[in-house]
Amino acid sequence: MLGLELYKIFRRPRTYISFLIMTAVTFLIQLAMYVDGKSFVSFAMAGVGEQFDIGGNILNGYLVTYIVLQSLLIHIPLLVALVAGDALAGEANMGTMRLLLTKPVSRTKVVLVKFIAGIIYALLLLVWLAIVGLGLSILLFGTGDMINLKSDAFVMLLEHDIIWRYMLAFAFAALAMTTVAALAVFLSVFGDNSIGPIIGTMGIIVVLTIFSNLEVPLFNTIKPWLFTTHMIAWKGFFDAPVPYDAIWQSVAVLLLYIVLFITATIIVFNKKDIQS
Amino acid sequence: MPEHIAEVKGLTKKFDDFIAVDDLSFAIGKGQVYGFLGPNGAGKSTTIRMLTGLIHPTAGEVLIDGESFSRNRMRALQQIGAIVERPDMYKYLSAWDNLRIFARLSRKHIPADRLHEVIELVGLKGRESDKVKAYSQGMKQRLGIAIALVHDPELLILDEPTNGLDPQGIAEMRELIKTLGTQMGKTILISSHLLYEIEQVATHMLIIHKGKKVVEGKVSDLLNPNETIFEVRILPDDSIMSKLQEKGWGQYVAEGGNSSTLLFRMHPRKMPGLNKYLVEEKVHVLEIRSKHSLEEYFLSLTNENNAGAGAV
Amino acid sequence: MRSVMRVGVLWVMLSCISIQSYAQADSAAVLFENLRSRLDVIKDYVADVRIKIDISFMKVPPLDGKLYFKAPDKMKLERKGGVSILPKNNVSLTLNSMFPTGGVTVIDAGRDIINGKTVKVIKVIPLEDAGQIILTKIWVDEARNLALRTETTTRDNGTVKMDLAFGNHLKLGLPDKVIVYLDVKEYKLPKGVTMDYDASQQVKPAVKGDKKRQKGKIEINYLKYEVNKGLSDKIFMETN
Repeated sequence: MLGLELYKIFRRPRTYISFLIMTAVTFLIQLAMYVDGKSFVSFAMAGVGEQFDIGGNILNGYLVTYIVLQSLLIHIPLLVALVAGDALAGEANMGTMRLLLTKPVSRTKVVLVKFIAGIIYALLLLVWLAIVGLGLSILLFGTGDMINLKSDAFVMLLEHDIIWRYMLAFAFAALAMTTVAALAVFLSVFGDNSIGPIIGTMGIIVVLTIFSNLEVPLFNTIKPWLFTTHMIAWKGFFDAPVPYDAIWQSVAVLLLYIVLFITATIIVFNKKDIQS
Repeated sequence: MPEHIAEVKGLTKKFDDFIAVDDLSFAIGKGQVYGFLGPNGAGKSTTIRMLTGLIHPTAGEVLIDGESFSRNRMRALQQIGAIVERPDMYKYLSAWDNLRIFARLSRKHIPADRLHEVIELVGLKGRESDKVKAYSQGMKQRLGIAIALVHDPELLILDEPTNGLDPQGIAEMRELIKTLGTQMGKTILISSHLLYEIEQVATHMLIIHKGKKVVEGKVSDLLNPNETIFEVRILPDDSIMSKLQEKGWGQYVAEGGNSSTLLFRMHPRKMPGLNKYLVEEKVHVLEIRSKHSLEEYFLSLTNENNAGAGAV
Repeated sequence: MRSVMRVGVLWVMLSCISIQSYAQADSAAVLFENLRSRLDVIKDYVADVRIKIDISFMKVPPLDGKLYFKAPDKMKLERKGGVSILPKNNVSLTLNSMFPTGGVTVIDAGRDIINGKTVKVIKVIPLEDAGQIILTKIWVDEARNLALRTETTTRDNGTVKMDLAFGNHLKLGLPDKVIVYLDVKEYKLPKGVTMDYDASQQVKPAVKGDKKRQKGKIEINYLKYEVNKGLSDKIFMETN
C-alpha cells in the first residue's frame, strides 16, 4: 500500500515542483556566492575582522552548504507541507476518499501510510538537497575549514571534522521534516481540500518560528515547548563542542510532537464521518 | 450462511438536530437487484455511506454478510464494492492504474487477467491506458463499476449510477446493470431518485422519505395493477389511525400520510367500502384521489419535497 | 668641621648610591641590548606551528600550519588551503613586536620569580613618541640571555602580555612556546540574523563588569624552525 501511495505521489507533477524550487534556490545561492561571495564573507566577518585577520579559503563548499541549509531549511517545511498537507485532504478533494475507504483498508493504516509516504518524500527532498546543496557546493567551491558565525561566538571547524556533522545535521533535519509532515497530515484530516492544511501548516510554522526567534521574555517560557525551536537543532552539530544534551532533548520534543500529531490524526480520522 | 447479504437494523443518523436517517430497517437477499429509491434529500446518500462504512451510525447497525461494521469493518468491506456519489478517481493516472491501485487495496490477490476481464465487462477495453482526466462521465461511471467489481464482492453498491449521463449513457448503464444482475447473478443495491430507472432493472425496491421507510417490496408486487394508491384528504383528525386499525383498514394504510392526508394501497374495488366506513365514522372527507400507480405516488412524495421541505 | 665631614660623608654615600644605580641601569640596558641584538640575528623564519586560540567567543580548534615571519613585523599563517586566523596586524605574536626599536631608556625594575626561577625585570621606554609601544616590561633570564615574559603597553591595543618558554630551539634563541595574553572586544551578531539554535535554552546571566573588553589568550607551539632562508615579501601578500 505504501508503494501505491508513493506511486500516487510521484506520478503527479506537483510533487516535482518542490524539487525544482529547491534546486533553483540552491543554484541561486551558489551563483550569488560564486559571483559575490567575497563581499558577503567580509560583511559577515566584519565583527571578527576588526580584531583578527582571517585568511584562506573561507568561502568553501562547506560554508556555502551551510548558507544554503540556513536559508532552505526554513522553506523545506513548506515544501513538505505541500505534499503531506495533501495526504488526506487531497483524497477528500478529489473524491477518491470514498473509493479508498470503501476498500478493506483500516483507516489507521491509511493515516500511517500517508504519513510514511510524507516522510519518504521529505527524505528524498533532503537527499536531493544533500546532492545539489552539499555535493555541488563542494564541486564548485572545494572543501576547507568551516566558519560558523553564531550570534555570540565565532566557531571554526577543521576540514576533516565537518562531513560527519553534515550527515548528522541531515539526519536531524529528517526528523524535523517528519514533524512537519506529521503536523501537515494532522491538519489534513480536517480539510476537504488541501489548500487549508497546506496554508495552515505553513502558517503555524511561520508564526511559531517567529516566536522561537523573538527575544521577548513572554515567549521565552513557551519557547522550549515549540517544535520550531527544536527544528533548527541541526545547527548544534556545527558548534564546538556539539551540545549533545540539548540536541537529544530536541529530538525528544520532536518525537513527542510526532507521536502526538499522528495519534490525534488516527483518532480523529477513525471517528470521522466521510462527507466529502 | 446468513440468508441476507445486507441487513440494516434500526439505522439512525443524526447530524446535530437534523435526523437524516430515522430508524431504517431493511434486508437485501442474495441475487436481488435492490432499488433504493427516494427523492433528493430523503437520506439515501447518508444510508449508503453507512452501508459502506464511511459514516458511523448514531444508532442501529449494518450487517454485511452477517458482519457488522462496528465489529469487523475489514470483513464487512471485503464483501462490498461500491461507488458512492460520483465515481471520482485519480485523474492524473490512467484508468488501468486506478483499477490496479484499488484492486491492490482489496486484500486479495487479483491477477492481471481479472483486471482485463472487468475492463472488458464494463466496455472500456482499448481505453484503459488513457488518463481518467480524458474520460467522459459515462466512462468514469463504468470504470467505477469495474473498480467496485474487481475483487468479486458479494454486494455491489451503486449510488445513482446514471447521474450526469446522456440518454445513450443511461441506456448503456442500464444494460450493464442488467447484465450484472440477471446474467451474472450479482447482488446489487442501486439508488436513484427516478422510479422508472429502478423499475426497469430492480427486482426489489425500497422507497424512503425524510429518512423513513415508505414502501418496500418486490417490484412486481408494487407495480401490480391490482393495487392502487388512494389519497384521501380529510379534516384533521388525530384519532383517525387508531379508528382505522380497529376496523381492519389499517393493513391498507401506506406510509407517508399524516392526520389530514391518508394514503391507502388497495384494490380499487375496496374503495367504496372504505369510503362508506369513513362517512359512518363521521370523518369529514374532502377529497379522494386515486393515484393509479407507484409512479404517481412517488411523484407526489417528490413534489411535496420540492414544494416545501428543506431537507438536504 | 663635623658638619663639613658629615656633608662629605653624605656626598660620598650619595655618589656611591648613584654610581650603583648607574651601574644597574647600565646592566639593564646591556641586558636589553643583548636581547635585542640576539633577536636581530633572526631576519626571517618559517616554522611549523600549532596555534591554540583561547578566547571566549572564538571556538577554534588547534590550528596546525606554517608560520612565516620576516623582520621587523611581517607574519603570516599558512594552512594548506585552510582558514587562518591571526590577530589583526600580527600585533603581538612575536617577541620582535614587543621590543621597541630605536633609542630607549632602560630601567631596572628588580627581580621576580617565573616557574621557580629568579629573573631580572627591566622596563624599556622608547625615546620616540611616534611608535606604538609606550612601555615594555621584560622579565629576563640573565644566564641564558632570554626574555621569559613581556608586558607591553601599546597605544591602541592596550596591554599585551606574553609568556615564552624555551627548550628545543634554545640555540637559535627562539621559543618553543609563546603564550600571548590580549584584550579583545566582545563580539555580537543580532540573533535574528544568525537564527541560533539556543542549546542552553536559558536566559544567559548578564556578564558583570566591563562587557566591551575580554581577556584572551593565544598559544603558539613552535615545532620546527627554518631560519634566515631569505623569505621574499611576496609571501606575505594576501593571496586570496
